[in-house]
Amino acid sequence: MLQVLLSGLAIGAIYGLVAMGFAVVFYVTRVINFATGQLLMVAIMITAGLAQVGLPDWLAIVIGLLASSVGGVLIYFIAVRPVLRFDRFSFAWLVSTLGVAIVLQSGAAIIWGPTSRSFPSLLNRQTLKVGPASITWQEFAAIVVAVLAVVGFEIFRRSTLFGKVGMAISSDPEMASAIGAWVTFYAVAAFAIGGLLAGIAGVLVGPITYANPYLGDTYGITGFVALMIGGIERPAAAMGGGLVLGVLSVGANTFIGSQASDWFPFVVVVVVLLVAPHGLFASGDALKRLVANLGNRHALAKGARP
Amino acid sequence: MIVLVVAYLASTFGIAHGSFGVQDVVLVAAVFAILAVSLDLAAGMTGLYSLGHAGLFALGAYATTLLNTKLDWNLFLLLPVTIVGVGLVGFVLGFLSLRVSGLYFAITTFIFTLVVVVLLSDLTFTGGLQGLAGPVFPDFPDALSFLGSSVAWCVSLSLLVTIVLVWSIRSSPLYPVLLAIRDAEPFAGAAGVRTSVMKVAIFGLSAALAGLAGWAFSFLGFISPGQFGWTISVNILVMVILGGINTRLGPILGAAFVSAFPVVVSIDPFQQELILGCIFVLVIVFFPEGFMGISGNIVRHIRRQSADAVVATPTDETSVEPIAYAPLAPASANATVESADIALEARGIVFGYTKGVRALNDVDMVVKRGNIHGLIGPNGSGKSTLVNLISGQIAPNLGTISANGHRIEQLSAPARAKHGLMRTFQTAVLVKELSARDNVTIGLYSRFPQIAVRSALWPLLPGARRDSRTMRERAVDALSSVGLASNWATTRVADLPHGVEQLTQLAAACVANPSILILDEPLAGLSSGEVEQVSEILRGLKRDGVTVIVVEHQTHFIFEMCDEVTVLAAGELVKSGTAAEVRSDDRVREVYLGL
Repeated sequence: MLQVLLSGLAIGAIYGLVAMGFAVVFYVTRVINFATGQLLMVAIMITAGLAQVGLPDWLAIVIGLLASSVGGVLIYFIAVRPVLRFDRFSFAWLVSTLGVAIVLQSGAAIIWGPTSRSFPSLLNRQTLKVGPASITWQEFAAIVVAVLAVVGFEIFRRSTLFGKVGMAISSDPEMASAIGAWVTFYAVAAFAIGGLLAGIAGVLVGPITYANPYLGDTYGITGFVALMIGGIERPAAAMGGGLVLGVLSVGANTFIGSQASDWFPFVVVVVVLLVAPHGLFASGDALKRLVANLGNRHALAKGARP
Repeated sequence: MIVLVVAYLASTFGIAHGSFGVQDVVLVAAVFAILAVSLDLAAGMTGLYSLGHAGLFALGAYATTLLNTKLDWNLFLLLPVTIVGVGLVGFVLGFLSLRVSGLYFAITTFIFTLVVVVLLSDLTFTGGLQGLAGPVFPDFPDALSFLGSSVAWCVSLSLLVTIVLVWSIRSSPLYPVLLAIRDAEPFAGAAGVRTSVMKVAIFGLSAALAGLAGWAFSFLGFISPGQFGWTISVNILVMVILGGINTRLGPILGAAFVSAFPVVVSIDPFQQELILGCIFVLVIVFFPEGFMGISGNIVRHIRRQSADAVVATPTDETSVEPIAYAPLAPASANATVESADIALEARGIVFGYTKGVRALNDVDMVVKRGNIHGLIGPNGSGKSTLVNLISGQIAPNLGTISANGHRIEQLSAPARAKHGLMRTFQTAVLVKELSARDNVTIGLYSRFPQIAVRSALWPLLPGARRDSRTMRERAVDALSSVGLASNWATTRVADLPHGVEQLTQLAAACVANPSILILDEPLAGLSSGEVEQVSEILRGLKRDGVTVIVVEHQTHFIFEMCDEVTVLAAGELVKSGTAAEVRSDDRVREVYLGL
């Protein structure tokens, strides 16, 4: 039981980091970056590739994380910013970010081939005994990083001016820009942080999964499912969703059968969407409010004349 | 029309005799055309951006294959079974996911596709990742064998049915209504359209067509989960956008292009994927209006140039001139004052947006029949809340509302519209891409029987053409009754000046001959000439015996026009009485007039 909990939290931390990658971007820009999973894959592939040609692990990881952050920013400029100005098709970013996801995935398959390659094992060799259960140091690191990410983000959001301006932008970008906030800068920062979080998740999970161009699809979808379970409105809720999903999946694998983790996340998310459409950890009717806002903004953009 | 159908059938005949290679490409493209046309019905016309079409498509294909090969059901029996079954799934999916919003709908349908694909991959009787061999479609009997491949005819007729259905809806009076649901939902609701029911029904219909596509697709060979992944959902959406969203031919062109692309550019699958992904991004960034949008722009450009060449005065000048008002229609003598003296009565209304804070506290308002009744008060006094309660946008916590002697506080906004209660909104939100006339016909939705059901076969039905014409005529009449000259009727709302747009909204409320009309700040943003115009319209309505409730800030206008006035302040009733009484009341002067 303890083993299930620990392993579940470890894998859940990975899902949660990806979900946070989605949520941070959504928090500031109201866009779901469907290529978040592919950014995780980019970090893994680049780290693996560089480590293979003989770079020290730490340098390979830094460059890999840098690549996923820069990738996030590029997505913003190429696929998101140009489409936000249409009001006719309000979900244009949905198609463009999914398009980027396909480009990144097939591009990686062309460059590195569709098969798996090795990834530096990092802390995956040593195990840590916790009572009757044991996890690897790598898994332990995942949990620690996840906690740091949530706590760090919340402190940052609530206590720094930078974070408060981010909150202002998320609730009303026009107003925020009227009081002098540089909205583009925050959007870029959000995409960079989103990419970074996905990249970190990639480096943490790489030693277990090895490097494969299709990891993005797997973890992107699971991360998205975690996001919907936790709640899209707050990055901390997204992490909560990831942890819940991780524990439940490992539980299902242990108690139902080894195939269960393939379909179990979807059962969970369907149940959650039916029972609590806004996610388990959403405060109030967050998504509803938000979408009402979107609608208003949409109406404004459509030129409800003053 | 008939020429088109004949040409279509002739080309089907050609393809049915074509080589297998050609058939393969064309038939797959045709199946995707069914999907794209059905998605355009949901996404383009009604604003429901579904990512569930791949999942629904998969259900259709797998249901047909499994029920035929395992349980030996007849393929032609399976046609209605699949359509109805998948339609019902879409209905439930829409019902569950449209509770919240458009974004939530897109996400839920996306997850639906993921779930379907996971189930198909993991279950044993679906053949797992390998999939299943589809059923064999029976050949034509000998007498008909000259027609060629029966599968080609099967797919082609399925597409034809889909096109006829969706194009019928496009040509029916339901089309403006659907666009209103997409762009101006409160307006549609106030016109008597049950918008949430309509959205679920349209998505159910779209899902049923996706089921039809699945049925047809199962005859084209193997089916496996990989053919129905989320990328396919996005693919279908891209087909619609690439061809031109909300156009007749766009989705079909888009489906043909995207399906034929891998065949024409035959390179290795990874590069194909890469290029396809790039196309997604490029299309949405640079050509969000698709092929049809681009060609439409070109045509309009050429037309404008030739028009400029012929007529020396550019058409733009008309917008600089003052609005050309037609003389108002003379008062009709049918001002039959009904026996009940009271048209609308709200008693003891209590309402709060959040717990504890009362936006309205025990407010009464009684409106006499045939009167113009003013509702005034400082900002935040609860005027808009009260009219929203009366028209049914929100429901009161306590209190009763009755209109024309019927209790209505439990009814939805569309149901109240059917009781003769119509309203306008402070800022007109109309369908920008439709003409003023078509926007006004939306107001007639509740006045003609069964528009929604009949729309599926609209051009073929007896009486439908006549109804269309009547609706258009009544809409033009309504526009001229609010003083808009006939040249405005066919102008797109996007090109209308603000005042004309407001008057169009008023016409849309008047066209259905309401017995009670609520105007929420009808003068907002109007010039003084336009204000005079609205006064004139109000007098005309009064002559016709319509009861009018006006919310307005311009007290001069209110006291000049209204028979009776109700004054609110901070959610409480201050005074209700004749205009003269209210104007001389000390408390009213204190709280509002500031004299």
